[in-house]
Amino acid sequence: MDLHCQMILEEYQEALPVLEEMKTKVLQMLREALERNNIIVTAIEARVKTENSLAGKLALKGQKYATLADITDILGARIVTFYTDDVDRIAAITEQLFEIDWENSVDKRKLHQLDSFGYNSLHYICRLPGYEYRFELQLRTTLQHAWAAINHDTGYKSGVEIPREYMRQMNRLAGMLEMVDDEFSRIRTEINNYRRRVQHLVQNGRLDDVSLDGDTFRSYLQAKPLDALNKRIAAINQAEIMETPLIRYLRVFKAFGCNTLGDVDRLIHQYEDDAYRLARHQLGNTDLDIISSAVGIQNICIVYILRTGGGKIGLNRLFDTLNGHNTQNEQLAELTYEQARNLPFMKQ
Amino acid sequence: MTTTIQENGNQLIASFNGRLDTAAAVPTTEAVKPLMDAANREIILDCSQLEYISSSGLRIFLSIRKEAAAHGSKVIVKNINSDIRQVFMMTGFISLFEIQ
Repeated sequence: MDLHCQMILEEYQEALPVLEEMKTKVLQMLREALERNNIIVTAIEARVKTENSLAGKLALKGQKYATLADITDILGARIVTFYTDDVDRIAAITEQLFEIDWENSVDKRKLHQLDSFGYNSLHYICRLPGYEYRFELQLRTTLQHAWAAINHDTGYKSGVEIPREYMRQMNRLAGMLEMVDDEFSRIRTEINNYRRRVQHLVQNGRLDDVSLDGDTFRSYLQAKPLDALNKRIAAINQAEIMETPLIRYLRVFKAFGCNTLGDVDRLIHQYEDDAYRLARHQLGNTDLDIISSAVGIQNICIVYILRTGGGKIGLNRLFDTLNGHNTQNEQLAELTYEQARNLPFMKQ
Repeated sequence: MTTTIQENGNQLIASFNGRLDTAAAVPTTEAVKPLMDAANREIILDCSQLEYISSSGLRIFLSIRKEAAAHGSKVIVKNINSDIRQVFMMTGFISLFEIQ
């Protein structure tokens, strides 16, 4: 190694603490920005180039660099996203966080020739305000990351090391992964649009237009349709209500034959008074002052089963659905049936 | 009311004996503290000798469950008598716990 390269290496050794400090700051700024923008990613990582790696680079093209500050990837950071859309969102965020050296930044995604496939990430050369050295930030999707790793492993990057036939096969795979990435983004957008439409219909009370599934039931529950009933039940003993997930009742309503949120809503309203009476009968002579927010929906289901002639077998099925099949559910069904048997709704 | 905690491999077994009422809540809360810090373990609440549970007792069970979930542990309630099962049922907590 010549004297010039040795000087750069010495500069590197001196700059190492600063580079490590930059690494910590860059990672922290990126993590905070992603959290603020609710972007979930697969990985955020950063590394300062090792001395060996730098020596290798200098041995190959040391004369290209006047000082250490000319080496733009002396610090490298990488964000791996789930979706291609997120690469663009993070790129926009990055432009606000750091000074971008546009001359040296490359969107390799846009460099593809018409007659070839490529599958590359977005590379920004950035500067952290107040620091002399620049760093490279790579943004890529999980599939791009997998592609890059495998690509590297096969030695494909050099282009001449593998026969044309294998190169062609690798290119076909690259094209396929690019399509898969686009499809994932498209599906996510469609799901989000569907959720927005459902929320709009729920907010406008058009529940009969909304078919019953996990997403729609969750949206319906966000409107707190059981709050009033739970508060009535809580008032029996001035109890505290503890929030509990109710999503597991989706399967129960499906089993009851509900096809739309309108069906669920009617069932709730039809049986809520009897559900309250059942709770009053059960809790009225106790001093239990804590209840779960599931108590209202649970009692509605019990009343529905009993009023539609489902009896103990129906109750047993309900508990099997909610708690998983368990021999003790039979005992629970028996107990519940005995508690409810003298209530007025059982005689209707 | 007594509470004993034993280890069995990856399991922590808390055995309750007596009536878990308001008076017993404070010593029981103290006794179950080792369960609160357990990470990635299976926590068994053995109720075969538990005669009664009040709201205070339910709150203890709920906080064990909450802490366990935060530490990646799982809580299983075992051998409850029919009165206690009824309490879990009436309060709507029956499907929150794995009861065996």
